Amino acid sequence: MEKLLSTKLYIPPSRPKLVARPRLIRQLSEALSPGRTPGVTLISAPAGFGKTTLVSSWIYDLRLMLDDVRAKTSSQEKIANPDSQIENPGSSIVNRVAWLSLDEGDNDPARFLVYLISALKTIGINIEEGQLASLHAPQPQPPPFELILTSLLNEILTFPDDFILVLDDYHVIDSQAVDKALTFLLEHQPPKMHLVIATREDPSLPLARLRAHGQLTELRAADLRFTLSEATEFLNRVMSLELSAENIAALETRTEGWIAGLQLAALSMQGQKDTASFIQSFTGSHHFVMDYLVEEVLQRQPEHIQIFLLHTSILKRLCGPLCDAVLLDPSVSGQETLEYLERANLFIVPLDDERRWYRYHHLFADLLRQRLYKSMSSSAEDAEVRVNELNIRASQWFEDQGLDLEAFHHAAAANDLGRAARLVQEKGLPLHSTSAMAPVLKWLASLSSTALQARPSLWVTHAALLLATGQTEGVEEKLQAAEVVLAPVMQDPSLDERIRFLIGQIAAVRSTLALTRYDIKGMLYQSQRALEYLPPGHAVVRCTALWTMGYACYLQRDLSRAKRAYLEAISISQASGAIFTVILATIGLANVQEAENELHQAAATYRRVLHLAGDQPQQIVHDAHLGLARLLYEWNDLEAAERHGEQALQLARQYESFIDRYIICELFLARLKLAQGDVGAAAALVTKTAHSVRQKNFVHRIPEVADAQVLMLLHQDNLAAAAQLVQAHELPIARARVHLAQGDPTAALAVLKDWRQQAELTGWENERLKTMALQAVAQRANGEIDQAVQTLGDALVLAEAEGCIRTFVDEGVPMAQLLSEASARGTMPDYVAKLLAAFETEPLKQRDKASSQLLVEPLSQRELEVLQLIAQGLSNDEIGKRLFLALDTVKGHNRRIFDKLQVQRRTEAVARARKLGLI
Amino acid sequence: MNADQPLVCQIRVKSHLDSDWTDWFDGLTITREENGDTLLTGPLADQAALHGLLKKVRDLGLTLVSVNPIDPGPSPTPEIGRPDVPEVSQSR
Repeated sequence: MEKLLSTKLYIPPSRPKLVARPRLIRQLSEALSPGRTPGVTLISAPAGFGKTTLVSSWIYDLRLMLDDVRAKTSSQEKIANPDSQIENPGSSIVNRVAWLSLDEGDNDPARFLVYLISALKTIGINIEEGQLASLHAPQPQPPPFELILTSLLNEILTFPDDFILVLDDYHVIDSQAVDKALTFLLEHQPPKMHLVIATREDPSLPLARLRAHGQLTELRAADLRFTLSEATEFLNRVMSLELSAENIAALETRTEGWIAGLQLAALSMQGQKDTASFIQSFTGSHHFVMDYLVEEVLQRQPEHIQIFLLHTSILKRLCGPLCDAVLLDPSVSGQETLEYLERANLFIVPLDDERRWYRYHHLFADLLRQRLYKSMSSSAEDAEVRVNELNIRASQWFEDQGLDLEAFHHAAAANDLGRAARLVQEKGLPLHSTSAMAPVLKWLASLSSTALQARPSLWVTHAALLLATGQTEGVEEKLQAAEVVLAPVMQDPSLDERIRFLIGQIAAVRSTLALTRYDIKGMLYQSQRALEYLPPGHAVVRCTALWTMGYACYLQRDLSRAKRAYLEAISISQASGAIFTVILATIGLANVQEAENELHQAAATYRRVLHLAGDQPQQIVHDAHLGLARLLYEWNDLEAAERHGEQALQLARQYESFIDRYIICELFLARLKLAQGDVGAAAALVTKTAHSVRQKNFVHRIPEVADAQVLMLLHQDNLAAAAQLVQAHELPIARARVHLAQGDPTAALAVLKDWRQQAELTGWENERLKTMALQAVAQRANGEIDQAVQTLGDALVLAEAEGCIRTFVDEGVPMAQLLSEASARGTMPDYVAKLLAAFETEPLKQRDKASSQLLVEPLSQRELEVLQLIAQGLSNDEIGKRLFLALDTVKGHNRRIFDKLQVQRRTEAVARARKLGLI
Repeated sequence: MNADQPLVCQIRVKSHLDSDWTDWFDGLTITREENGDTLLTGPLADQAALHGLLKKVRDLGLTLVSVNPIDPGPSPTPEIGRPDVPEVSQSR
């Protein structure tokens, strides 16, 4: 992030000689009286009406009052009346002022919030560092503003004292996002916060509503104009002129009480004998007041001061050394001149107490700038060249001080393409701060194509920046434009480093584009190409390519390659301090560990991300919460899983509405509900999510939704609908479950065998484990008890070290049966006992309330075989023939089956058995 | 008026401005009227450009009186050598 400009937080000092404006001060203080609802004080008037002066002198007065009151209280009042309330409005409550002078850069909402938080910090309202971190990271998504503002408001609510927050120059704010943020603050305005906004135009805030509720105090141009008596006091007392009442009235009329105008007029007349003729020509002309007066004032200054004023008008802020660098006149001292201007009241404002930095009054600076070109030369071209030279000197000075953003601003103003491009590309200017991106993007967009032909790298920079701010339109075109220019050079095998970097950068940008389109092949190809061409170094571009490659490999189930890419990305971004990329790549790594069934490692990695992200994480961190939630779920810690799941959802919802990540969170929470025994609620959640997906056309989430729907449908015994869904989508596990529910374990086993093989090939251990668990259940349903126990045993061996529980518990009664069988055979007694114990604590699934979960006595192998044949519709006779049993034996089996299942008839037995998942 | 078509605009402000100010106002023509107003006239790329100009007026502390679109009107003399094409009426 750019270094914090403390000058923006500086409270302008009150000027020593001022016209007292008690009526206005009173209005301002009234807003603070105890008992009044908190509101906004709006000071809305054009430039030059003394808004800032008024507010700063009011604050100064308040402080005096407070000190006064304090002094009195400590000496007398407290002794006489320990509980007395102080009557003075404002004094008893206000002793804290936070000031923020806004500029164009604050249209970037992240920067606005950073400075807002910093301003509040100056009065002791402290926000967690982690919250600031999320605002500094450049990323395609805007930070989660509502979360940050809510937490800011909570901090404010714990602040014990009333305080004032002043936002000066609000008219520079054009951004809807910032207006929204401020509106949010106003809608939840804490009682101790008093907001003062000074602006040249009414802001886009809910003013009408505030007015209606009596929460708005307004001071407008009509209020701020100098009245005749104020003008008199100003001209004769403050400026020490001796004007007649008639002359003052004439000036007052001509300027319409405009303070800046009167001030300039006064400056023109100071030390002049013939004020009368000045007033006559001034009041007699139609000329634009400011223009006329600035001309007058300038002419009266010594020549070196005139040059100083005109040449330094290009600077947004001035200090001695900077002015010296721009003027290159050894006979003039910048510092001394600035102090002279301040003493002479020549529209210069100090920005700190040390008298190091100043700025001109905006209006004055504009007028000086307008004159600058004319003063340099009569030829417009020549003038432009000379003014450019001034900007270049300023740019160089700022660059030497390490203030790259301002250096860039002046280089762009000077139309020095090479210099600006160098600052952008080599200093990595835009990549470190989101607020720098806006002016750079603007500048890039303004460049002509001829300019770009000579510098194809700027096309690529433009494309990369657009993408970094989340825009995909026009990106590919820019890359192609650069390639066209580079084409002849690209043939050469011994490409020089800069060309290699460009090619690498182009590929990296393309890999990110492919990501936005879910084009896995594209991601792989482009990231590979990028890594091939990128020369050593260039951490940011390299990490982009590495992360994209990791992700593409992960999606393609190439886990080892994914892991390597992520690990390299982590190490490079750690070295370069790019926390955001570290977080991204670490989440990727945890995903791979989860897939490899290294659950404890994965959990530790997810927790590392949460720690890195701090208290106020960005949206991407939702993935870490979700991963941790999945793991806690597997370990059957459902409460903790739910907590993290909810946090994941809350974060994911903070994305822009076209991002579909929150769908995955919703589906997880639905499955959790299922595990908690509430089938109806779980199904309802899935239905709601399915509806969202359809409405918003989140095509990439459709398979996951279908998978969840199948699960719900099976729990609701809606086999037909479930079967339809698996026909329509490629969902192996879901399909296997449907086959099982249909009483076709053979078909289920065929699907599962295939799927297990695939998982084994790709090293997708997690999936392999889940497949094996289901496979064991299917084998049991198919009558292959021995095989089932064997498969279960193999699964248990894989699962034990990682403490998996729900993989087994989620398979329900059939798995419980199988585990009992395994227990009887002495397989892994401790683990099996643990799992069986987990079954005991399972809540009854609603629909199962009629029957108990586990049979008191499990069906024997033979009984299962008979039951299966009953289910297939065979008569007792046919069963006897099939199993080489006497009819009586079959009937005996039936009786025991019916007993155990607590049913009376065959049909009931089959139904019950299916419900319990036995067949 | 279409949102992104070039327009010809006339901005009226109180008080006189020198012709020096043309550059500051993106090349608009400056006309001083007898009643003390100044007219800033000229083509603007689009609505965004217009708002940018109004901002400049605001920032200088000039009093804005009115903003009016100007009909560019048909060209006064026909070009030599052009085929005889009937005048198409101006659409707003």
